[in-house]
Amino acid sequence: MRFPVIKGAAYALIHANDMVLHQGSTQTSEARLNPGSEYLKALPAHLRSFQEVVAYPPNQVYIGNLRPAALKAIPRPWRENPVSGAGREGKFGEIMPLDEFYGLVKAADMFDLVLMEGNYQKATAAKLATHSAVADWKTLAALEKGYAPPERIRELVAGGQAEPMYLAGQLIGCVRKAHDFDAALSEHVMFENLVSKASAAFCLSLLLRKTGLPATAVEYIIECSEEACGDMNQRGGGNFAKAIGELCGCVNATGSDTRGFCAGPVHALVEAAALVRAGVYRDVVVVAGGASAKLGMNGKDHVRKGLPILEDTLGAFAVHIGADDGLSPILRIDIVGRHRIGSGAAPQAVMRAIVTDPLDQGGIPLADVDCFSAELQNPEITEPAGAGDVPLSNYKMIAALGVTRKDFAREDLAKVVERIGMPGFAPTQGHIPSGVPFLGHCREMMLEGLLRRVMVIGKGSLFLGRLTNLFDGVSLVVEKNPGGGPEDQARVGRTRVGLTLAGSEHGEAEMLRGALLAQERDPAVEVVAIGRAAPPGLALVEAADAEAAREKMESMLASGELDAAVTMHYSFPIGVSTVGRVIAPALGRGMYIANTTGASDTSRIRAMLKNAITAIAVAKACGNETPSVGILNVEGARQVERALTDLRDHGYPIRFAASGRADGGAVMRGNDLLRGGPDIMVTDSLTGNVIVKLLSAFTAGGDRETLGDGYGPGAGEGCERIINIISRASGAPVVAGALSYAGACARGDLPGRVAGEFALARKAGLDKALAELAGPVGPAAPAGPAELAGPAGSVGPAGASAPSEPAELAGPAGASAPPGPAGAGALAAPAQAAGGERKEQTATPPPPKAVSEELTGVDILVLEDAERALWRAGIYATAGMGCTGPVILVAAADKEKAIAALKTARFL
Amino acid sequence: MDLENQARVKALAEQYGSDDLIVILGGAEAESCGLTAETVSAGDPTFAGPLAGVPLGLKAYHIFELKDEIDPGIYDEQIAMMEMVMDADAIKGEVTTYRGA
Repeated sequence: MRFPVIKGAAYALIHANDMVLHQGSTQTSEARLNPGSEYLKALPAHLRSFQEVVAYPPNQVYIGNLRPAALKAIPRPWRENPVSGAGREGKFGEIMPLDEFYGLVKAADMFDLVLMEGNYQKATAAKLATHSAVADWKTLAALEKGYAPPERIRELVAGGQAEPMYLAGQLIGCVRKAHDFDAALSEHVMFENLVSKASAAFCLSLLLRKTGLPATAVEYIIECSEEACGDMNQRGGGNFAKAIGELCGCVNATGSDTRGFCAGPVHALVEAAALVRAGVYRDVVVVAGGASAKLGMNGKDHVRKGLPILEDTLGAFAVHIGADDGLSPILRIDIVGRHRIGSGAAPQAVMRAIVTDPLDQGGIPLADVDCFSAELQNPEITEPAGAGDVPLSNYKMIAALGVTRKDFAREDLAKVVERIGMPGFAPTQGHIPSGVPFLGHCREMMLEGLLRRVMVIGKGSLFLGRLTNLFDGVSLVVEKNPGGGPEDQARVGRTRVGLTLAGSEHGEAEMLRGALLAQERDPAVEVVAIGRAAPPGLALVEAADAEAAREKMESMLASGELDAAVTMHYSFPIGVSTVGRVIAPALGRGMYIANTTGASDTSRIRAMLKNAITAIAVAKACGNETPSVGILNVEGARQVERALTDLRDHGYPIRFAASGRADGGAVMRGNDLLRGGPDIMVTDSLTGNVIVKLLSAFTAGGDRETLGDGYGPGAGEGCERIINIISRASGAPVVAGALSYAGACARGDLPGRVAGEFALARKAGLDKALAELAGPVGPAAPAGPAELAGPAGSVGPAGASAPSEPAELAGPAGASAPPGPAGAGALAAPAQAAGGERKEQTATPPPPKAVSEELTGVDILVLEDAERALWRAGIYATAGMGCTGPVILVAAADKEKAIAALKTARFL
Repeated sequence: MDLENQARVKALAEQYGSDDLIVILGGAEAESCGLTAETVSAGDPTFAGPLAGVPLGLKAYHIFELKDEIDPGIYDEQIAMMEMVMDADAIKGEVTTYRGA
């Protein structure tokens, strides 16, 4: 699975000291309830200068000039240890003075609500015209005209018609109410909303400039502040998002607002990531502006303790979430934590729901999270107000939870707190501190390889809205981008399955439909199309034709870039064959068909015995640990049954199926094939091949396979790669099934399972059983009749009880098969057609070459002889099994010479 | 101590009397827990709430002090984590101060 990524983050602070006094709710409430308040009289002396705000260490961390850990090295109080040489510009953002910001508020006003005094307005317009992030705002033109007379501003403010805009104690402008009596459009609400909008737009512009994301590329904006815009009939109707995007020139975007108190930003991140992952939008921005009401919220405590007013900045952030670029940190939307309505309110229950539940679900140990970005309030603000060090409390709770779960030892508690945490550095602007302020640093540190995994946590006090007593919390895991490496892919839990597109009788579009279907149905699989083109949402590795695709597939499997692959035409060596999976029509049951292409052995009956073992391994790899095994009533079924029974009696764990027919038994009739009686139906490859085609295509008129999962993975001892076979007639549903099937085999470690299964069978006497099935091949052995008697005779047990004929003689070419050398064992006799001479069974191969040319037409019984004949002729060759039968593989340059040699020796 | 809570404690003490009533605290800080314990015992020292000048003489205990009275399973489930997070000894010490003999 490709996860969405954090492509960039920007942060802005606005030094808003005059707003502390006139718009901060603590101060405005005090002014209303306690006229002549000593606090309000004392407050102005506690306001900081712009330079003090810029040099304040936490603020430098917020805009990206210092890492959070740098605060550990700066002695507290930080306010007394300014950063020397600090500037307003940051790596991730900027600290803006109030005079410039008021200009942005005016530029954000579309309803002529903001009035400004002329001299001030001109000066501000001049400054903003050269500002690198906002100079191209079209609405800055509003600053070029409509200067308001100072007396008009004073009159409106004094008459309760407008909210004042003070700068250094001077009234320089105001925001008028937007309706005569609608409280939702009052001057106070309009001021807050315009401040929120303007600060968010400023930050979005910073993001665009600093990351190079074109404004026109943004497709969706999610705004997640804590303000509400609307009129009295739809207070909170929205949409801040679109209003913000409009200012920044995001003409191709729409958007919406997400609310969740301080948890809102993390909710918004999850939503943005989900939209990108789903392919609804490619580039999504999560943005939030600042809250003027929260300025100076703890001012009384700060003033009482002789501290400066530290809550003197508006905060804003903007984060760009986009499709995987193979580089930026990924958002693990598969393990999102949430405080459920039923989670409970005890701190322990809350932390479990947000922190450990999602990690447990994702199989990630708590100790494997490098650090947590949770509620990053600056402690220098909260501690004097009696609220303690909020981030530190969070880290202590996470560590303590780990101790109760035994993730950490109790004596390591302090060390864990130190390791997973960071000092808080965000202004207490509600939604601003919650998780997101670290994303910029996190992205940079992951790109530098300093961090691997971070959990971002947002928490919200929903009870403040007086609709519920509930609390809320959401979390999201951010990880270093695995960049396609095999280990990292395994870590993120998605299986990459390649699909070669060329060669289908139904065209590449049908293959691509199958690929998309697989991804839609099976979230555990990511399909990598190998071919000429692929639609959005599908990874593509380019390959011009079938041959190039095959080579690409092989190399990607070898390098681990692919965990498995699905292809149409592939030559497995003798010893490897495929276990198909069909849907038995009577009951709709899935059934493994062992096997369907390739050859487990040159002997058909020995091959069937091996097929049974291979298929058990496949079933186990796919999650069925105790599959039932039936043997299809084909020639040799009883011999295979006896051999498997022997193995069972010698300790090989095998569970036989029982036929649904009256006489039962492990040998299955055609009826059982339709019923899907056994989990595994053992048969020979060619019969299995016919069965898959029949059961896959019979509802589609025959020429298109639409049911089941195809011909299955090539499996056999020593076969390390997982390549699933489909046919050129396979339709999209079968392609999708095969991709899922291949993915399951990869996750279930099919090669390991096959090795384990054969080791078990060996212990129980597999080698002996195989040797017995081969039997001595004597000159007196009947060449053809025994084989021919099978199909011609009764189909019942009587026919299958035919003497244990040498398997070699049961081949399709039985009639012409020659007597073999005495005791030759597994290897077939030379072809009689080749002149009756007995060929040497051994030959030394010439130096190996890359073999790509398939020569067909050699009978399976003499396949290895043909291989050796070519070796003796100095031609490197390997025997294999193609889709339609046995093949000899030679290098392209040797093709003509090999054909001639094989013809001369009468193999062709 | 929160004014509303002062009012509730006062009402409960009037309803049930002070003899069989204790106050259980769950506060996170020693200082604020001590202030609450003082308020329900000697009266509101800030003279801001309904308990100003009303010495109810109630004994206050922090939940950490009542560990032995609670089912260990439930304590582990609900409290154990926070006991590790908070400065339990300081809280207990502060609250004890206001219980007198």
